[in-house]
Amino acid sequence: MLKLLKEVFRQGDATVKYPFAPYEVEKDFRGRPEHVAENCIACAACTSACPANALSMETDLAAGTRTWSISYGRCIFCARCEEVCPTQAIRLTTDFELAVANKADLTSQAVFKLADCVCCGEPFAPAKEIAYVTALIEANSGTNGASTGAEKSSEAERRRRLLSTCPACKRANDLQQIAQIAHRQEKNR
Amino acid sequence: MNVHIDARVGASHISYLRAKLPHAVLEENWQTPNQVTVTVKLNTLPEAVATLYYGREGWLSVVVCNDERPINDTFGLYYVLSMEGEDRCHVIVHAAVPSSNEEFPSVTPKVPACVWGEREIRDMYGLRPIGLPDERRLVLPDDWPDDLYPLRKDAMDYRLRPPPTSDKENYQFRNDAEGETTVVPLGPLHITSDEPGHFRLFVDGEDIIDADYRMFYVHRGMEKLAETRMGYNEVTFLADRVCGICGYAHSVAYASSIENALGIVVPQRAHAIRSIMLETERLHSHMLNLGLVCQFTGFDSGFMQFFRAREKAMTLAELLTGGRKTYGINLIGGVRRDVLAEQRSRTLALVAELRAEVQRLFEILLATPNFGPRVKGVGILDRKIARDYSPVGPVVRGSGYRRDTRVDHAFAGYGSVDVDINTGDGCDVQSRTMIRAAEIFDSLSLIEQLLDSTPTGPILNEDFVYKPYKFALGFTEAPRGEDIHWSMTGDNQKLYRWRCRASTYANWPVLRYMLRGNTVSDAPLIVGSIDPCYSCCDRMTVVDVRKETSRTIPYKEMERYCRERTDSPLK
Repeated sequence: MLKLLKEVFRQGDATVKYPFAPYEVEKDFRGRPEHVAENCIACAACTSACPANALSMETDLAAGTRTWSISYGRCIFCARCEEVCPTQAIRLTTDFELAVANKADLTSQAVFKLADCVCCGEPFAPAKEIAYVTALIEANSGTNGASTGAEKSSEAERRRRLLSTCPACKRANDLQQIAQIAHRQEKNR
Repeated sequence: MNVHIDARVGASHISYLRAKLPHAVLEENWQTPNQVTVTVKLNTLPEAVATLYYGREGWLSVVVCNDERPINDTFGLYYVLSMEGEDRCHVIVHAAVPSSNEEFPSVTPKVPACVWGEREIRDMYGLRPIGLPDERRLVLPDDWPDDLYPLRKDAMDYRLRPPPTSDKENYQFRNDAEGETTVVPLGPLHITSDEPGHFRLFVDGEDIIDADYRMFYVHRGMEKLAETRMGYNEVTFLADRVCGICGYAHSVAYASSIENALGIVVPQRAHAIRSIMLETERLHSHMLNLGLVCQFTGFDSGFMQFFRAREKAMTLAELLTGGRKTYGINLIGGVRRDVLAEQRSRTLALVAELRAEVQRLFEILLATPNFGPRVKGVGILDRKIARDYSPVGPVVRGSGYRRDTRVDHAFAGYGSVDVDINTGDGCDVQSRTMIRAAEIFDSLSLIEQLLDSTPTGPILNEDFVYKPYKFALGFTEAPRGEDIHWSMTGDNQKLYRWRCRASTYANWPVLRYMLRGNTVSDAPLIVGSIDPCYSCCDRMTVVDVRKETSRTIPYKEMERYCRERTDSPLK
């Protein structure tokens, strides 16, 4: 009994002032994910990595938009989204106070514009994703055999055009090119 | 990087089986160097399992059924035995049930430990175990349709909730008492347990003559969910949520089952980090149980003190994983968070603080005059019953058996450190409590050992090839005992079958024998001593069969009676 009393006095107050004073968590605590729409390219990597389906992407072809959304009600704070994001657009914060008065406040959204295909004019991929990929390839492509400046810029132009073409048009274009080659070979024979 | 298997352990068991039952064995395949699946003829299944169980020191880990009709037109039955005598390994006895004749000979009459597994197969797959002494439902509720077997591949979508077929509870509770008894239902739901259960105590005066219970009130259908909705890599996060206390043990068991099946080499550092986190989990879980033991024996200040000290273990988890309880740091192939130098030094400081504090609290608990007499000789688990039913963890160690997966089948980082097995021979609540207390100090020293010997290097191996229809076991020693997972990959980046057995599943069947012969006031203490995360059941109803009256006693009153043992509410 005396030992217990001694222990109680040794420990003093075990309780903290929270919620009247802020509660300190560890600096690597996994809390509410924060999305920075400026960095996001709507590539959907996070939505396929999310084990809980808290993240989702919806494409509206008529409006030409893609909507990214997160439901904090479903989020399990695993940080898989943070790991797979190529542009660091989503980061986990240390915020753990998630209660809301209105259920709709648990969802947060970001709308991205889709780019139109240069051939058929139909929307097919987020404009920011295409810009990101174009920049990435441009930065990494060497001279690629082209020597003069004019050749270089025409090569870059061809690449940009290719990246701005939708998969369906790419297939159609490929078929046409193959047909032309076959036609030429036929002639030459 | 997938490995090729050369070394093989367990051949002696197969030769023993071949010698005892000359024509039973059809084929044997090693999934890993320490796991062998031996296919036997269906009609020799009970003898084969019993031969290995009693003849070669096998313990039953889990019974798995798998609907393999789309692959080979059979249902696969897998009886997983943990061989703990010579030649330690896992032997999985496999028998195929043809889809044309949906029945199999029950193993339970020969090996009682199979009873829950076979009852579950009957519920989930509709296969009839011929000769099973207990044909009641185990998992499915009383109002579930008779011909809907949830885990069959062609049965149902995981979201289907069929309308109830009856409004009545028709579950028959079993009472083996010879004379007249009074029924004391305890429950129906303990909201904070991982398995809410309804207990019926059959009492004569104050003495418990027999007991029966019904579990699975909140069956979450996780196996079906994992098989249909999630990718195999995402299931690690679902496995983290199997239990609210020891979820990380499940996550490691699941991840290693897939790593074993696909032959993925996990980096040594990842193994060590997994072990560190498993020990952290054991710390907070055992301290929780010690706190509850204090509470059940009427020592509320001790309960408060243990829970205060436990907060340090929670901080440790938060520091190392970023989550207080659900660690979420496993992926197939390793872990996602490294232990950095700063975290290492803070961990060592916290470990030292915890050791001193738990030591002081434990001395206070032992010096409490109320404690010893209250737990000694209570809730006896007979050694023979323990051998027959294969319980796990502190429950079986309290009855003198040296069973600990960390030593028997060293997994993760346990191969490189010294693990003590603590056993007790009292077979009672006291033994089990003492073992848990000793394991707290072991965990603290293991964390230090692991931090000292952690090899440097990568923590995640992502360079492997996913192959369909591969299966293997994964296992861990959770705070409550062995967790075992059997997984088979599918051809669609999902699991074909995931069987997850939590440790308490193996401990429930023996509880009946532990309750017999004790008094009603000891019931919460005994149930608490298997550590089923039991903390509160909302109320209990007393039915006096002779006077045909019933009245409800609030849980508070029952708990007060357990603590003070005066003014029985039954009178």
